[in-house]
Amino acid sequence: MKRLECDSSTVACCAWVARVLVIVSALRGPAVSLKVCSAFRRGPLKLGMAKITHVDFPPKETVSYTKETQTPVTTQQKEGENSEPMLEIQMEKPDQKEEEEEAPPQELTEEEKLQILHSSEFITFFDHSTRIVERALSQHVDVFFDYSGREMEEKEGEIQAGAKLFLNRQFVDERWSKHRVVTCLDWSPQYPELLVASYNNNEEAPHEPDGVALVWNMKYKKNTPEYVFHCQSAVMSAAFARFHPNLVVGGTYSGQIVLWDNRSNKRTPVQRTPLSAAAHTHPVYCVNVVGTQNAHNLISISTDGKMCSWSLDMLSQPQDSLELVFKQSKAVAVTSMSFPLGDVNNFVVGSEDGSVYMACRHGSKAGISEMFEGHHGPITGIDCHTATGPVDFSHLFVTSSFDWTVKLWSTKNNKPLYSFEDNSDYVYDVMWSPTHPALFACVDGVGHLDLWNLNNDTEVPTASTTVEGNPALNRVRWAHSGKEIAVGDSDGQILVYDVGEVSGLKCLGMWTSFLWKCTPI
Amino acid sequence: MSAEVEETLKRIQTHKGVIGTIVVNAEGNTTLITSTKVDYAGLLHQLTMKARSTVRDLDPQNDLTFLRIRSKKHEIMVAPDKEYLLIVIQNPSE
Repeated sequence: MKRLECDSSTVACCAWVARVLVIVSALRGPAVSLKVCSAFRRGPLKLGMAKITHVDFPPKETVSYTKETQTPVTTQQKEGENSEPMLEIQMEKPDQKEEEEEAPPQELTEEEKLQILHSSEFITFFDHSTRIVERALSQHVDVFFDYSGREMEEKEGEIQAGAKLFLNRQFVDERWSKHRVVTCLDWSPQYPELLVASYNNNEEAPHEPDGVALVWNMKYKKNTPEYVFHCQSAVMSAAFARFHPNLVVGGTYSGQIVLWDNRSNKRTPVQRTPLSAAAHTHPVYCVNVVGTQNAHNLISISTDGKMCSWSLDMLSQPQDSLELVFKQSKAVAVTSMSFPLGDVNNFVVGSEDGSVYMACRHGSKAGISEMFEGHHGPITGIDCHTATGPVDFSHLFVTSSFDWTVKLWSTKNNKPLYSFEDNSDYVYDVMWSPTHPALFACVDGVGHLDLWNLNNDTEVPTASTTVEGNPALNRVRWAHSGKEIAVGDSDGQILVYDVGEVSGLKCLGMWTSFLWKCTPI
Repeated sequence: MSAEVEETLKRIQTHKGVIGTIVVNAEGNTTLITSTKVDYAGLLHQLTMKARSTVRDLDPQNDLTFLRIRSKKHEIMVAPDKEYLLIVIQNPSE
């Protein structure tokens, strides 16, 4: 029998093991002690292969239900419905998990987002809602104002005591109206707060469209246009189509007549007249819708004397056209036109040679019938008396011209009834008040807006104001109520003035006194 | 995005006092346009839906057209639609 050769450490180790064994055997039983003891007596340890079995226990799945997967968000659950059988719920879970994946929270790809942003429903929605939100943004109604605690700040913009013209609004758009001249203004017959303004081309921005028409809204405080329309050629005249509330007509520099519709999402015209010899080939300075609801035409006159009448449904060719020539010789270069109240056949036009012509559309003597001489320069504006009242003044009209004067005429007389010579620059436009029979407004090239009340004084204007900066004022338009005047200048700005109470607006006296004023002259 | 949409968006975002502009879809899970860091979309969508259901419960023929929430610091304007929601947050004292 071999003997173990031990050294001191092994002896100590054995002693320790023996002690442990005593304890372990006390706890576990004799089997353990026997094995170890035999290992120490028999020699080196014998190693052998042992069979291993690999057992894998999956983690215990804790089944939990959250409200989101179980109950749909939109419908309100009735109390009784909550007690669904457990089996059904388990079946639904995988379906709802799929649904959640189909509608990912804010993780649509960029392409899908762009696709939505380009879709037409989105554009319609966006156009509509941004319009409302912009109005709401500018409206500041402070319902919390405390009169007792806070100091009242000084009122801004004190109304000038005594003056009859107060500046109410200023409309200018940085992108669309700056550096353009306001060529025409028209108030909407349907919605008295809407005003359309047409502009010519912007020389400082050659890549922007040449012709712009903006619809401004007086009702809300927002300072951006309600609608923006543009076209390829400078717009020289614009008007709301009288019996079609959604349409805006424009006459352009190229001779085309364009039609914009505010129902479409486009800013470009929905209809255009052709550029042919049948239509106009010269700039169209006058467009007007005349007639009644059932029988109306769009009348347009260009500077070569051609007058066309159109139907708004079909702008591909004019219904009727007429060359305005005086005494069969020279064509009349028309700059402005006006129809007397209620008349759809006879009208007056002002021309570049300084004369006013009276013409009629239909009949054997269609064309120019009479000439009124008096002005020494091209006529810039003409307006027939439109105020309705006990006395009929529809034979009266006023004209403004480059010769610094405004003249009052009657269709019954070849010579002017009166000449107003208070201005010291080109008078660019004139218009009668739609309500007061003896009131008219005119604008000139040094920023003056003058209000003449012929019952008061025929030598000087009754009220006058000057626009800051003295820009040339190109157009003046009374609102249909007769209480506001819109003025367009050469810098693309539109100013709307409130007309203060002109004396005796409602009394009969002003009509009869004007009548007396007119006859002896 | 088309030029007109961009232009209008820019005009609103640069309006005096506007802090953010958000466009969400009707379900409230996709934000199409956002210009704020705070997530107003989910919360406001829920509120708009609640407001709309309230209006319709009071009168089924009626519908929500505009929602304006005035708080001490901000004013939140929501213009709902059938398919989308336009939200604009403004600080009116600015």
